[in-house]
Amino acid sequence: MGERLSVAVQGFHPSSFLSEETARLRELTQGMKVISAVSGGVDSTVATLVAREALGDNLFPIMIDTGLLRVDEPEQVKERLSRSPLSLKLRLVHASGRFLSSVKGETDAEEKRKKFRETFYQVLREEAEKEACEYILQGTIAPDWIETQGGIKTQHNVLEQVGIDPATTYGFKIIEPLADLYKDQVRALGRHLNLPKEFSERQPFPGPGLLVRCIGNVTKEKIRVLKEATKVVETSLSPFNYEQYFAAVVENKFALDPSAKTISATASEALGLPKSEVHAEAFEDRVTGVKGDQRSYGLLAAVKLSEESRETYGWLQDRLRQLQTGIVEKFPDITRVALLVKERRGGRPLSIIVRAVSTRDFMTAAVSAVPWKILKDISQQIMKEESVSRVYYDITPKPPGTIEFE
Amino acid sequence: MKGQYNHLIVRNLKELGVNSKLLSPSVPLEQLESMKPDALVMGGGPQSVRSPDKLTGELADAARLIRQVKLPMLCICVTHQLLATAFGGVTEAARKPEFGPVEISVLDDGRILEGLGPSFTAWESHNDEVVRKPDGFQVIAKSSNCAVEAMRHEKRDIFGVQFHPEVSHTTKGVELFKNFLGIVEEHKRT
Repeated sequence: MGERLSVAVQGFHPSSFLSEETARLRELTQGMKVISAVSGGVDSTVATLVAREALGDNLFPIMIDTGLLRVDEPEQVKERLSRSPLSLKLRLVHASGRFLSSVKGETDAEEKRKKFRETFYQVLREEAEKEACEYILQGTIAPDWIETQGGIKTQHNVLEQVGIDPATTYGFKIIEPLADLYKDQVRALGRHLNLPKEFSERQPFPGPGLLVRCIGNVTKEKIRVLKEATKVVETSLSPFNYEQYFAAVVENKFALDPSAKTISATASEALGLPKSEVHAEAFEDRVTGVKGDQRSYGLLAAVKLSEESRETYGWLQDRLRQLQTGIVEKFPDITRVALLVKERRGGRPLSIIVRAVSTRDFMTAAVSAVPWKILKDISQQIMKEESVSRVYYDITPKPPGTIEFE
Repeated sequence: MKGQYNHLIVRNLKELGVNSKLLSPSVPLEQLESMKPDALVMGGGPQSVRSPDKLTGELADAARLIRQVKLPMLCICVTHQLLATAFGGVTEAARKPEFGPVEISVLDDGRILEGLGPSFTAWESHNDEVVRKPDGFQVIAKSSNCAVEAMRHEKRDIFGVQFHPEVSHTTKGVELFKNFLGIVEEHKRT
């Protein structure tokens, strides 16, 4: 990565970053057209604003509707960006069918991410050809390429840093104005550029969208339920100051090894509760984590306490931390632990997992202490979905989990 | 080293006003010396040092730097383990690996851990641990799972920490870097 002076001096100075970066962009593009890939998230929006300062009308912002965005998201982003003071004219590219069919039948998290990346850049290639444009600008930031290079997970917006030359592979060059910055620096830059708070402080949403929160196989029904659950979680938790909060969906299929008996024994020991009060098992579909600086694609343990214990322990962060570390220390194949909030009888196929974390730079994350009552309210609302029988809360920090599930 | 947190070490030091640069441990000694560094901080990585006679790649290079460089040195996570084995200590698979928040008990709050006692929360991510400290080193912090969370050389300005002071969740990580920079300043004067 190129060392830039404004990053190298003490602290981070948005104004000097901006003047250096706009000069670099002008020099690089020499008056040529540039397409900017916008998701509505803070990174790509700030990258686009930086580029507009430099390139003016030569910048063409587009947003790809992957079908894996939240309820009404593409239209909302387009509308909000068009308002003053941003006044960005965004063109929507509809490609949801292509993304869904590209991951059909695929359950492996990395394969899903790589297929998403391939479709993403194929769509961009077509757009670049249409506009006769040599450059694509994107909002990649430091943790994206650090995690991809480190083999933790493939971010969809990292190519050159992992040895893929976009010019020979896709026929365009890539510009990443924010590649050396961390999230908090990007937010500071956004504030400097008068980005309204709803953008600059917006919680991150992954590039591959709901794909990485739909654990394992992707189906239309899973995505539909996940969109609804996401809306419930975002609405309920937005008044709190968590940096990221969302829902994930997983099928109710459980691994045979390690057995429910052995996980339950460890869980009851960690909590100091009688065995009769604790039942724990692991979902069959794997989830992403990071242990000892290495990717860990492991199991997600699901712990159920008797209703009475749940009411007490749901509030006790220290005990939940003991539960999580007790299980992860004991079973090398288990990466994450979730606690049951609510369930109902009947053989419904899906579980929803709620996640909320506090973090500065998304390199490490602590589990947020969401009040148990709020978790119960959220679960109650999500249970209105016919195909959902359980709602869990993820009690895993990063490490050993990652923030997202795949 | 390939650890993902190593960029955060650079960020921390820059925020403290220090001109710092992230290098691969394969950097030749002459090149390193030509940059006239005041200190060396070595970060973590995904490798294991459990068989010290068979170190390869980055770890072999890092071990060479530990032997050759005579500057104040701070070694983090896997290079803390490497520091221990390079000076004759022992690293093994941890009985209880640590991931995420860990309570660190400070045994000696002088020098690098000044102001961090009696305990603080640090974030960790390790499968191996130092089970026997090398001769000539003092253990200065431990946790309930791990007996050697931090150590220092009894005569030279060499320090090793198992936890990650560079991540924002380690509550007193910045203090540790400030203490280290103070030691570096003192070293320059003598």
